[in-house]
Amino acid sequence: MSIVAVQGVSKDYMLGKTVVPALRDVTLEIGRGEFLSIAGPSGSGKTTLLNLIGCVDTPTTGVVQVDGKDTSRLSERQLTDLRLRTIGFIFQSFNLVQVLSVFQNVEFPLLLQGGLSRRDREARVMGLLEAVGIASHARHRPSELSGGQRQRVAVARALVTAPSLVLADEPTANLDSATGENIIDLMKEMNARDGTTFVFSTHDPKVMAHASAVIRIADGRIVAREAGRGAAAEAAR
Amino acid sequence: MIGVDLQIAARNLTRHTRRNLFLGGALAAVTALLVLLSSLTGGVERAMMVSATTLLTGHVNVGGFFKITSGSAAPIVSEYPRALDTVRALVPEIDYVAVRGRGWAKAVSESSSMDLVLGGVEVAQERGFAKVIRPVEGRLEDLAQPDTVLLFQGQADRLKVKVGDVVTLSAPTTRGVNNTADVRVAVIARNVGLLSAFSAFIQGDTLRRLYGLAPTATGALHLYLKDPADAPAVASRLRAALAEAGWRVMEPESQPYWIKLMQKVPSEDWTGQKLDVTTWEDEMGQFKQFILGLRALTALLVFVLMVVVVIGILNTLAIAIRERTREIGTLRAIGMQRRKVLWLFVLETALLGLGGAAAGAAIASGIALLLNLAGIGVPEGMQLFLMQERLSFLLQPGAILADVLFLAGVTVVAALLPARRAARLRPVTAMHHIG
Repeated sequence: MSIVAVQGVSKDYMLGKTVVPALRDVTLEIGRGEFLSIAGPSGSGKTTLLNLIGCVDTPTTGVVQVDGKDTSRLSERQLTDLRLRTIGFIFQSFNLVQVLSVFQNVEFPLLLQGGLSRRDREARVMGLLEAVGIASHARHRPSELSGGQRQRVAVARALVTAPSLVLADEPTANLDSATGENIIDLMKEMNARDGTTFVFSTHDPKVMAHASAVIRIADGRIVAREAGRGAAAEAAR
Repeated sequence: MIGVDLQIAARNLTRHTRRNLFLGGALAAVTALLVLLSSLTGGVERAMMVSATTLLTGHVNVGGFFKITSGSAAPIVSEYPRALDTVRALVPEIDYVAVRGRGWAKAVSESSSMDLVLGGVEVAQERGFAKVIRPVEGRLEDLAQPDTVLLFQGQADRLKVKVGDVVTLSAPTTRGVNNTADVRVAVIARNVGLLSAFSAFIQGDTLRRLYGLAPTATGALHLYLKDPADAPAVASRLRAALAEAGWRVMEPESQPYWIKLMQKVPSEDWTGQKLDVTTWEDEMGQFKQFILGLRALTALLVFVLMVVVVIGILNTLAIAIRERTREIGTLRAIGMQRRKVLWLFVLETALLGLGGAAAGAAIASGIALLLNLAGIGVPEGMQLFLMQERLSFLLQPGAILADVLFLAGVTVVAALLPARRAARLRPVTAMHHIG
C-alpha cells in the first residue's frame, strides 16, 4: 500500500482577481520506503505539491491520501495530529526555533506528541544528533551553527518522531554543494536504515541523482516519472 | 512541556528587550500607582476605623435627643441605665460599652480660648483609648478624677496650657443659660489627625454637672462589637427592640448626630426623648464618601492608564506575531495544535504582565515603606479627611497580590485576541510569510 496517493488534484491560487493554477490534475502514488525527488523549475508547482502531501494546504479539487487517510475528510485538529505523528518536515530555510537549543529543537515534536519519559526522549534525541553528527552542539542555539549544521538539526527534528514520511522542500538550496551533498547522503542513510519514505523537491541535478525515483513537474503538471538511475544518467549528461 | 513553553516565552521576551521593557515598565507604573493609591486609601480607612470609632463613635451608638420645646434639641439619653439593660440583654455581640456624654463648650485659658466638642467619659470603660490616644504629658488614668480634661497637643499649644493648668469650660445648658466649670488638664495627648483639633474629653460626671444633667443622663451608649461587620444587623435589631421596650426611636438616617442636632431635630414637631440608633458608618458618612471617592479616582486613573497599556500590548503582540509568522507556520506544520500556539502567546504576555505588575508592586511597596518611615506631614486641610497627621500607607499583602493578579489578568485578556489570530494562521500561509 502506498504512503501517499494523489488523485486528480488541482490547486488554484487567487492573485487579486486572477486565478493562477499551481497544480493541474495531478495524480501520483508514492510507495513506502521510496527516496523520491520532485524536480522542476521554479514556479512549476513542486512546493504546492509538497504542501498538499504535507497536509498544510488543501487542494481545490481532487483527493490527497496520506497513510491511507483522505485528508479532505479530516478536521483541522486531525490534520495537525496526522502531521505530528506521520510526517516530518525539512525546510529550505531550516526553520528552527531560534530561542531553543539544538537539543530542544529536536525534542520539541516529542514533547508535542507526549507519552515518552524524559530519559527516553533524551536517548532518542541524542541518538539522532549522533546520527546526524551534531551531538557536540546539542546545547548550542541555531544562530551559533552553520547552514549545514542547522539543516542537520532540521533532519534530526524531522526524524525524531519516527514518521512514515519525510517531506523536504529544497533541503539543499541554501547550502553549498558539498554540504548539500552531505545532507542528501544523511537523508539517504536514514531512508536505508529505517525505511522512512523521503520526498524532496529540488531543481539541482546533482541532488536528483541520489533519488530512487524522480517526478518531473512543469507548469503544474507531472510530465514524467523516472527511475533514479535514469535521472542520474540524465544529470551526468 | 511547560518548562519548554516557559523557556520559549521568556527567551522571546528577552529577544526584544527594549520593546518589552517599555511595555513592562508601563505596566509596572500602573501597578505602582494602583498599589500606592490603594494602600493610601487603606491607611486612611484604617485610621478612620481605629481613630474615629474610638474618639467619635462606637461601632453602634444608642444616642438620642431630648427636646424641651419643639424648636430646641439636646444630644441626651435620659435614663440611660434602662436603655443599657435592654442593650446588654439583646446584643451578645458586644465586646464592651462606653457611656459617653456629648456636648460642646468654649475653653478659656489665661491667655487664649477655643471651641471644643466634648466627650464625657468614664476612662475605665474606654478600652479603645489606650490604642489610639498616646499621652505625651500626664496619664490616661488621671482622667478618672472629677474636674479633669484631656487635651490634644494642638489644643494645649493653642490654649498655652500644660498638665496641671486649669481651663474654664463655658457651655450652653438645655435651660438656655451658660454654665461654667473649671477643669484641670490631666492629660495632653499626641494629635490624631484633625479629629483631635476639635475633640476633647472630660470626666463624665463633670460634663453632667456642666450641663446640669441628672446622673442617669448621658449623650450616647457607644457599643463596641467583637466584629464591627455586625454593626448594621445589630443596629437594626436594636431599633426594633428598643421601640418594643417602650422607647420612641427615630427612623434610621445615615447622618452624624451633630448634623441632626443642628438641622433636622430642631425642625421636628415633638418634645421629650427619642432614641437614635446609628452605626459608625452613619456617623462617619462623609468620610466613607471620601474613601469611595478616593477608590473611584484610583479606579478611573488605573482604567485610563490600562487602556494605554492594553493598546501597547495589542501593538506589541501584532508586531511579535508578524515577526514570528514563519515560526508559527513551522510549529503548526510539525504538529502544534492551534490552542498550543494561543497558549504560547498568552503565556508570553502573562509572563510580561506578571513581571511588570510584580515589579510595580515591589517598587510601590518600597516607596510606601520609605514614606511611612519618613513620616511626611499631611497638609492641615487634608487631615480631616485622611484622619492622620502623617502620611500612612497600609500595605496589605493580600490586596497587593490581588492588584498584581488583576493587572496581569487584564494583560492576558488583552493578549487573547491577537494570540487567537496567531493560532488561526494557516500553516501554509505562515510558512511562506516574508518579513
